[in-house]
Amino acid sequence: MIEIANLSFGYNKKKLLYKNLTLSLEAGSIYGLLGKNGAGKSTLLKNLIGLLFPTNGDIWVNGFLPKKRLPSFLETIYFIPEEVYVPSLTIDRYINLFAPFYPNFSKENMIRHLEELDVKTADKLNTLSFGQQKKFIIAFGLACNTKVLLLDEPTNGLDIPSKKRFRKLIAAEMNDDRMIFISTHQIRDLDNLIDRVVIVDEGELLLNASVATIAEKLLFTTVDEMPAGDKILYAEESLLGIYVVTENKNTAESKVNLEHLFNAVTENPEIIKQIFN
Amino acid sequence: MNNTFNIHRFGLLFKKTLLERPMQLFGLTALSLSIVFIMYVLGKMLAGFEDGQNISFMLGLVGGGCFLASFVFSYFTSNAMGSNYITLPASAFEKWLCGVLITGVFYLLLFLLFYRFIDTLFVGIYHRNLDANGPFYRQLYDQVQIFPYDGFIANKAILLFVNFSGAMLVGSLYFNKVNFIKVALLICGFWLGSWVLNLLIAQAMIQHVNNAMPYWLVWIDVNKDEGRIELPENIMRVVSIFIQFIIPATLWMLAWLRLKEKEF
Repeated sequence: MIEIANLSFGYNKKKLLYKNLTLSLEAGSIYGLLGKNGAGKSTLLKNLIGLLFPTNGDIWVNGFLPKKRLPSFLETIYFIPEEVYVPSLTIDRYINLFAPFYPNFSKENMIRHLEELDVKTADKLNTLSFGQQKKFIIAFGLACNTKVLLLDEPTNGLDIPSKKRFRKLIAAEMNDDRMIFISTHQIRDLDNLIDRVVIVDEGELLLNASVATIAEKLLFTTVDEMPAGDKILYAEESLLGIYVVTENKNTAESKVNLEHLFNAVTENPEIIKQIFN
Repeated sequence: MNNTFNIHRFGLLFKKTLLERPMQLFGLTALSLSIVFIMYVLGKMLAGFEDGQNISFMLGLVGGGCFLASFVFSYFTSNAMGSNYITLPASAFEKWLCGVLITGVFYLLLFLLFYRFIDTLFVGIYHRNLDANGPFYRQLYDQVQIFPYDGFIANKAILLFVNFSGAMLVGSLYFNKVNFIKVALLICGFWLGSWVLNLLIAQAMIQHVNNAMPYWLVWIDVNKDEGRIELPENIMRVVSIFIQFIIPATLWMLAWLRLKEKEF
């Protein structure tokens, strides 16, 4: 569904943000794109939708080159940026003007999403709070039923109940023909939602694996003392003990902690590559 | 699916463009026409009918057209708005055509109709208020006529309109913020540069140069009188074609190319 081959991109040609990035993303999964601030998460999404053009390499999304921005491509993909734009229109007017561009748009779904996200207003959208505006755009983006949905920091600006509703809605709207790609640095918001993890740092792809594979290859435990012998990929002291991430040599079962995984991967990129390759 | 132009999709886009920001779009048009009306009345009162007509026509067409041209692609003042505009499933050609139709066709037609309406109204009032038995009736009647759309001023105004609004369209796709002021400054800078260059070239080639207009005219002092040197007719024709057609067409087409290639 998304093929990235040897992508290089930089806002400045001398200083590339991505160098020869190769990545393949398939339908039927919710991908979590994790990275530090300034790692290029939004930039990657903008390359996928065609807002930015690769310096080198190719990107194919749904069989199209995004940089051509063909209408037949744009109606198969929806991008929700971190800061959303809503014009001075009512909900009905917005749907009336924008929905016809998306052939699979479902008004019934839209109404349902708005109810689930608790967005109700007869007023113009630009009078809503930022969080409400964002929820409206999320509801609209989902109702467009595009094959690919890109979300950049979708939980920024959402309150705690809304984050929960957002996760529930995304999980409910997922199907085998669809791919949802969520970029965030608020890793905890994606817990129990994503089924594949992509981690980028300093322009390099450090990890692209399913949560199941991660659980198979890494062990996330809490111990009283640091285990001897095992290579510690990440350790963090807490009141409950020491959170430890190690290689899962004995195929023990543990629940993937995305925050600890992210730290383990960014602190030990080479070891992680060896483990996963 | 036709990825360049589809009449249904274009219809949707045009409707969306008009209704998405109606207050700004129609408000700006209404403001421009109101200023034309005020300038017509003020100019007529302070400088006479002919000057009032000339000033208001020039200002309405060139100023109003430029204002609108700087607005139609002004989606790039924020990341969210720009992303929304670029990722909307319509082709760059359709998006460009919307801007061109609004600025180059609808505003132009609306302005010409509005101007002819107020001009006919005021000229009619003037004619009706003249004393038909007065000694200078015919002279006074003939002094004030409806502004000719094929006259010198109208031609120059249309020339400036197509060039400046083309520059505004392109400029609004290069400058994301305060594009009107930035492009206006560029145009002023270009005009000033052309004038200085023309003057320097004229001074280098001709003695006693008094002044020079960009590209076509040089005034020289001849004893106590003043003389004009103009471009030869055949060269003037070539230059005119360039200014009337080639530069505006290039600018308006450049806006389409820029829209296609714009990264945001």
